[in-house]
Amino acid sequence: MLTPAGRILVFRLLVLAAGSLPALWLAWQWWWGDLGVVPEETVVHATGRMGLILLLATIAFSPAFRLTGWVGIMIARRQIGLWAFAWLVAHMLAWMGLEQYWDWRWIRHDMVDLPYVRYGVAALLLLVPLALTSFRRAQQAMGYRAWHWLHRLVYVAAALGVVHFWMLTRADYRLPTLAAAILAGLLLFRLVDAAIHRR
Amino acid sequence: MARYRFPSIPESAVTPRELFRQRRRFLKRGTALSAAAMLPGGLLLSDTARAWRASLSERLDGELPRRELAGNETLTPRDDATSYNNFYELGTRKSDPEVYAHKLVTDPWSLTIDGEVDKPGTLAFEDVLSRESLEERIYRLRCVEAWSMVIPWIGFPLADLLKRHAPTSRARYVQFESILDPDNLRGQRSSILDWPYREALRIDEAMHPLTLMAVGMYGEVMPNQNGAPIRLVVPWKYGFKSIKSVVRITLTEERPVSSWVAQNPEEYGFFANVNPEKDHPRWSQARERRIGERGKRETLMFNGYADEVAELYAGMDLQQHL
Repeated sequence: MLTPAGRILVFRLLVLAAGSLPALWLAWQWWWGDLGVVPEETVVHATGRMGLILLLATIAFSPAFRLTGWVGIMIARRQIGLWAFAWLVAHMLAWMGLEQYWDWRWIRHDMVDLPYVRYGVAALLLLVPLALTSFRRAQQAMGYRAWHWLHRLVYVAAALGVVHFWMLTRADYRLPTLAAAILAGLLLFRLVDAAIHRR
Repeated sequence: MARYRFPSIPESAVTPRELFRQRRRFLKRGTALSAAAMLPGGLLLSDTARAWRASLSERLDGELPRRELAGNETLTPRDDATSYNNFYELGTRKSDPEVYAHKLVTDPWSLTIDGEVDKPGTLAFEDVLSRESLEERIYRLRCVEAWSMVIPWIGFPLADLLKRHAPTSRARYVQFESILDPDNLRGQRSSILDWPYREALRIDEAMHPLTLMAVGMYGEVMPNQNGAPIRLVVPWKYGFKSIKSVVRITLTEERPVSSWVAQNPEEYGFFANVNPEKDHPRWSQARERRIGERGKRETLMFNGYADEVAELYAGMDLQQHL
């Protein structure tokens, strides 16, 4: 069987695969013309969904650690969080290039005028300081308490992301409802866990 | 990354339309003969089904009058128009309607015309078809989701059909109802919309010469995912008004509530005229993505049919009346 260090390595490789392989798959399908009638639209949707999935997965890492106590989860948490951020940056760039075709007048117009775009941009902006301070040295410089407090913004960003997803949906709300339910579950776990440990 | 591009076909290599049709007629006769030989009792399709499909197909093979009403704009490739669809009965993804097209049972089909008419009735689809003369019309189609296509429909003016049933003086609106078949139509097993799908027009809109009942496109019988066997096409309104797979047409005195209006009256109005100056509450309607093109086009007032239809709405505040 694997050593503890080996298991952590395997887990980190799995996280690497989860973050990177969908991008290769998307590129492969684009190349072969398998992304449907409007590949631009497919890429914008796929990057956004992938970003939200990874963001929820990042949030799920803490409860998973609480439940299992396995240190590998905490070691890989930064990694998956940065993948989520990368996918969401790709989502915004895809929207600018493949939906707006780099028409800055319309990019600005939609960012200012369309509520669902505003929520999406706000979510991404909130994640910028988290990505910048995700490294050990930043954590040490800030002090653990301040760092921890700052990184709770991930919940706000995820909530804004779900609202963004909800607002751009037409008629079929099954997926945004699922995303909202998962986020609510994770938040609830967090609150209950905090209440228990405060006692 | 570059998209794979199919090599362009030189003009000289394109099969002339007449030759193509000849070959197809030849092939069809062959298939019909061998099918008849293999299926003694008609195992797959009922007799009535065969009746409307075969006879319509034959009519489409002949020459039809053609009217090009989308300027010089290029036709949307047929494959795009049949694989990027909003037909929530068959699923909410754009690719779903093509994938689940076989779930729409169109044989047999009948159409009921009732309400404020002197001559109501329920007709087998082949009897509806046999009364009407068909023509080809090339129209723009603008979806409320800000994408558009240019499609060669085949059909007949709705006015022709309505006149046969003699609307009464009280008929002020025309309501359309689509098929209800939750056993086969997966979308109807969830309550994303109030099924069956319903749409409606004011009687003057319904009688307008541009308003078409379409039974085919691209020279062929209407594919299921595009609303077989018979659908409405109102080119100056957002696509959701052009209800698919119509089973009932009811003339009414009161304004009917259509499915999208019931779902969200602030977002989807009764009129739903294409209007680049009136945004959807959640997105802009000023531009559109023409399927098959890069970049965006400016959306035209009444989808480019203002000269023909603007007078229907004279004196109406188009910012207020969605």
